[in-house]
Amino acid sequence: MNNVSRKALAGVAMAAASLLVLSGCASPKPGAGYIECGVSDEGSWTDKSFNESVMDGLMKAKDEFGVELKSAESNSSEDFAPNLQSMIDAKCDVIIAVGFNLVDAVNTAAEANPTNNFVTIDGWSNGATNLKPVGYNMAESSYLAGYAAASYSTTKVVGVYGGMKIGAVTAFMDGFYYGAKAYETETGTPVTVVGWDATTQKGDFIGGFAPNDAAGKAIAAGQLAQGADVLLPVGGDQFGALSEAINEAGSSAKMIGVDKNWTVANPEYADLMLTSIEKRMTQAVYDIVKAAAVDKTPFTGDAYTGTLANNGTDISETTFIDDALKAKLATLKAGIIDGSINPLQ
Amino acid sequence: MSKKELKLAELEPESKEVSVLKEIMSGDPVRIALSVLLGFFIGAIFMVVFNPDVVKSWSNFGADPNYALSTVWWTIQDGYGALFSGSIYNLNADNFINGIRPLTETLRFAGPLIMAGLAVSLTFRVGLFNIGATGQMMVGLAGATFVSTRLHMPQVIHMLVAVLAAILCSMVWGIIVGILKARTGAHEVIVTIMLNYVATDLFTYFLREPGLLLEANGGGTPKSDHPDGTAMMGALLGPSFKLNYGLIFAAIAVFVYWWLMERSTFGFRFRMVGHNASAARAAGIKVENTFVWALAISAAFAGLAAATQGLSMDGGLTTSIEAGIGFDAITVALLGGSRAGGVVMAGLLFGAFKAGSSSMQVAGVSPEVLGVVKALIVLFIAAPPIIRALYRLPKPEPKVFAAIQQAKAAKVIK
Repeated sequence: MNNVSRKALAGVAMAAASLLVLSGCASPKPGAGYIECGVSDEGSWTDKSFNESVMDGLMKAKDEFGVELKSAESNSSEDFAPNLQSMIDAKCDVIIAVGFNLVDAVNTAAEANPTNNFVTIDGWSNGATNLKPVGYNMAESSYLAGYAAASYSTTKVVGVYGGMKIGAVTAFMDGFYYGAKAYETETGTPVTVVGWDATTQKGDFIGGFAPNDAAGKAIAAGQLAQGADVLLPVGGDQFGALSEAINEAGSSAKMIGVDKNWTVANPEYADLMLTSIEKRMTQAVYDIVKAAAVDKTPFTGDAYTGTLANNGTDISETTFIDDALKAKLATLKAGIIDGSINPLQ
Repeated sequence: MSKKELKLAELEPESKEVSVLKEIMSGDPVRIALSVLLGFFIGAIFMVVFNPDVVKSWSNFGADPNYALSTVWWTIQDGYGALFSGSIYNLNADNFINGIRPLTETLRFAGPLIMAGLAVSLTFRVGLFNIGATGQMMVGLAGATFVSTRLHMPQVIHMLVAVLAAILCSMVWGIIVGILKARTGAHEVIVTIMLNYVATDLFTYFLREPGLLLEANGGGTPKSDHPDGTAMMGALLGPSFKLNYGLIFAAIAVFVYWWLMERSTFGFRFRMVGHNASAARAAGIKVENTFVWALAISAAFAGLAAATQGLSMDGGLTTSIEAGIGFDAITVALLGGSRAGGVVMAGLLFGAFKAGSSSMQVAGVSPEVLGVVKALIVLFIAAPPIIRALYRLPKPEPKVFAAIQQAKAAKVIK
């Protein structure tokens, strides 16, 4: 017994000493002492999609401001509440819940723990003032991508399919559809959008967000067979399966990336990427942590909405978009920002 | 053939698969405890080897060997310390309620694991490799979801009806396997695995259809409405804890299982068939009917697990509410030696793993370590020679025709 407690004491002393050493070495950073925490949606922090974008933002804030980062991945919906509870127990200053699936759990946690601050990415708040919803108007940038796709396409058939029929996915598909149709109205050249009809809200869905799903590949193959030569898969990382489908069909079709700039993030696909529709969650997370940890702005439950206007969303520049198209897209973007173009018409 | 003419030589040799199952289940507590220990030990190796700090300190081993060794110790202590504070008692908590919460979480997670573990255990004791708890739970969840979101009833009654619906739906799924096995001789492993897919997709389909289970004002995600408050399994220890009445159902299930298997004639028949189906048949037991009954009762336990799981979460239900419990149940049953007490212990251990995994992540340890530990424990239990060799345990005496001796003792055959 004695021996054990002596060992424990020695351990504590050692921990204290190492802490002193550590704090002595590190140069003081503006966010030191602030704890930022993230809970993922079902899936890992390296999903090449929205979980990863948020993690990138948290990592960036950690590196630049010296804040402490704690994170937990959720494997199923059963993990949401315990993961959030662990973060509350770990005395986090802000807890970022990624994804629409956590919306019930994070609202419950925010109401039960009014002194903790929460952020829900892609979710909403039931009124708690300590819960900040982060949302995106993805239809705006998707509209630009739809126009670019229709313009680039030689067959004038463009394809789109989603992971699941949920608002966060169909926003992309609606914008893409109307953007492609805007090209048709403007030039008089008929454009066919396969996989989604925004007027009837019917289309092709994989049924989940598992990376490179075989069902997604089959849908892509079907759309390629219908002549589509630009495809947009809105369902996380489906680009391996899609590029296989393109190769197997012997097609020269291009893909449109989702959430991140795929041309930069995954150069192996750069030759196939017409553009990417970026949901800049990395920036939003970084800004929220910066405001709280560095600028010491009081946390509020006011919603953050990423738009073309505040640079929260946009499409990526690539070599496939020529100067004429780039100029046209800039006009459209200005039109959406000033309200003269509705991306959902 | 009359019972008197029964000769040992005429008995069919039991299939290899059943004898392996028997050997795995005959596991004595010592061997199981040693397997658990070894699982944790190898888990610690994984934690250490994949920790970047340790790797860095060992690359400078010559310069500072003490530091290198201490990082190893700290990594293990942090990892398993987080498991302790996430599953038993949080030593950093401000007050007792927050401190003890992890233990209540372990109990909460253990409930469904124990009930599903009993489901698999029961069929193991009858000599059936039942992989179907997942599917039975999915169908049970569908039943519970329908009653809890679409029907409206008074407090308590609503919850009990939802539980009953889950049990009945699961039983139907179990009986399908039993009948296929009994009437056509289809192998239960294949049938249950395939029915798992059918059940999962069926539940997803129900969740997609607006007229069936899809939430009223949702965005079209396959997700149900939140179950009515009247159907929820309320908090057992007040609002500070998430622990719910599911624990009571688990306790009842454990008692029923124990009584059924160890005390009732029904259970005796189950065990007879499990020991040696041909001997049981010769002794006049209707083996095929026993299979059907066993799978039906087993599925009832799975249904209870599904109801507990479905009627205790925040928000609407999706297929991911099943959370891999149907598969973990196989592990729990193996680890618990298919005995009521053993399953309780195994369920608690796995419940602690689930409760502790998020604090381990917060402490910076990959929760996959726990998956490795779980898998290794089962591997060691399923491979007795490894454990016997490692710890130099004696080889058990071969049990020759134990079933027949037991049957003779019980005067079923002469």
